[in-house]
Amino acid sequence: MIYRIYSLFFGILLLFSTPIYALEVIEILGGKASEIPIAIVPFDGLESIGGQKAHQIISSDLNRTGLFRPLNTLGISNPPSSDININYTKWSAMDAQFIVVGKVESENPISGNIKITWSLIDIFKEKTVVSMRYIGKKSQYRAIAHKVSDNVYEHLTGSKGVFHTKIAYVKKVNNKKYSLNVADFDGFNSRPILNTTQPIISPRWSPDGEKIAYVSFEKKKPVIYIQNLRTGKRTLLANFKGNNSAPAWSPDSKKLAIVLTYNQNSQIYTINADGSGIKQLMRSNAINTEPSWAPNGEDIYFSSNRGGNPQIYKVNINDDEISRVTYEGKYNLSPSISYDGKLLIFLTNDQGKFKVAIQNLISNQVLKISEGPADESPIFAPNGHLVLFTYKDYGKTTKIGTVSINGLKRLPINVGSSIIQEPTWGPITN
Amino acid sequence: MEELQLKKSLLLLSLLALLGAGCSSTPLDAPGDPSAASGKMGVDAATAEALGLEELRGNTLLSQRSVFFDFNKYDIKDEYLDLIGAHAQYLNNHAPARMIIKGNADYRGSHEYNLSLGQKRSVAVKDALNALGVDDSQIETISYGEEYANQECQADACGQDRRADITYEVE
Repeated sequence: MIYRIYSLFFGILLLFSTPIYALEVIEILGGKASEIPIAIVPFDGLESIGGQKAHQIISSDLNRTGLFRPLNTLGISNPPSSDININYTKWSAMDAQFIVVGKVESENPISGNIKITWSLIDIFKEKTVVSMRYIGKKSQYRAIAHKVSDNVYEHLTGSKGVFHTKIAYVKKVNNKKYSLNVADFDGFNSRPILNTTQPIISPRWSPDGEKIAYVSFEKKKPVIYIQNLRTGKRTLLANFKGNNSAPAWSPDSKKLAIVLTYNQNSQIYTINADGSGIKQLMRSNAINTEPSWAPNGEDIYFSSNRGGNPQIYKVNINDDEISRVTYEGKYNLSPSISYDGKLLIFLTNDQGKFKVAIQNLISNQVLKISEGPADESPIFAPNGHLVLFTYKDYGKTTKIGTVSINGLKRLPINVGSSIIQEPTWGPITN
Repeated sequence: MEELQLKKSLLLLSLLALLGAGCSSTPLDAPGDPSAASGKMGVDAATAEALGLEELRGNTLLSQRSVFFDFNKYDIKDEYLDLIGAHAQYLNNHAPARMIIKGNADYRGSHEYNLSLGQKRSVAVKDALNALGVDDSQIETISYGEEYANQECQADACGQDRRADITYEVE
């Protein structure tokens, strides 16, 4: 039995074991057949205060990715809570390829800390993949469960999980109150970081995780602010003549691409995060907007109607060389690039229905992964395996949800009954 | 005294025009909000006369302020040429008058693209006014994109949001 012990509340991990290895690397975009049947067995012992239990949180995390098929574990007699004496035949008969078992105990009655000990077990190979123990505060119950999900995900896909990350979004109440909110990736633990009476659009989380850039109409026109998440302080990045909008961070978080209408039409500029060194990227009479910085730091994807209808293009920031990226469909907008630079997601108008589409940038194969009719604002998870987007609930109220990049799982993120729009996804941090 | 005030505001306007012209020929300089800097002019009798306020309020064509567009389009339809012609004539006859054109878009498509589209619509109206001899310094173009649009409109009703609104600073 291998144990990795993480001390969550110190924010560092103490571990004595072998490095994490990938067991079965799943081919992403592989279709329905690749969904791994996995049983998350109810954890023995303490339960969370209110809310979901650990196995429900882990199940729901893995289910979102479209790569797992969590099995129903209700009514299982004598559920195991460790990897000792596992009845492999029984689990195999249930079609489970893997199971996760665990228990929640009081670690220290004085501090109130809890410890969660868990194992991921391979039913086919009849062996334990990994066992770990997490210690944390009671209030970190959900965070620890998400950490378990991250570990299961990484062991079974070879990629980091995003279950411990944060998202941000704009909440709009009665067209009068706007707030920028930060929450766990699944919508829990939300809190406002800005309240205003004017629209907020295009929040973008810096890759280093420290700041969010956004567009506010507080000055009766769009201007760009950068807000430090630790101090809560914000600085005005761009308040030039005309509109200031569409901030996009460079991979090193030192620069942003922004859009100004300084010379009347929307054009893309680059600017240092401290507001210095503004430079126009290219010139055209057409609309150039929605920049999205590629992870190589040299290419910026953007939308433009230079060919008549809006399409996605990319420009090299060193030589202004422009090439067209999307060819399928007559109306493609809102590019977002995966963190390995291999996948592009965008909004496509499919015969009047606005859907999220994904394009493999090597094969240029395109797959529509949402149904519409009024989806918007697709943005990649920091591992490139999930997409955050907005849809109209019952055709009316805009809400956020995730869709797996294979298009199999589209699930809402519930953060209340107001209009929820313009989401962004924070980076993976420790 | 009134005349002096008018001269002052005229001077301010031409200074702003000069600044505006200077800005567009050089790279970006210090950030600043031109609409905040100019503010509203006081409307005394002489100013009202100079601005032709009575005409602005009384004229049927001048009281029409919205130019509507097709989905994802910003070309001006022929039916709005009379309206634009009337506003051009008004601006040409009243040099101190300043117009702000506010572009809008329906909710469909992205917030950012719609901001750009709204801007294209306000610029299209401005270009049409320029073609009729209106000076650049008299017109400011801005865009609200889809931010104040009806988020639940269906089909043709969304057309109400695809528009550029003409406003005058004096109003």
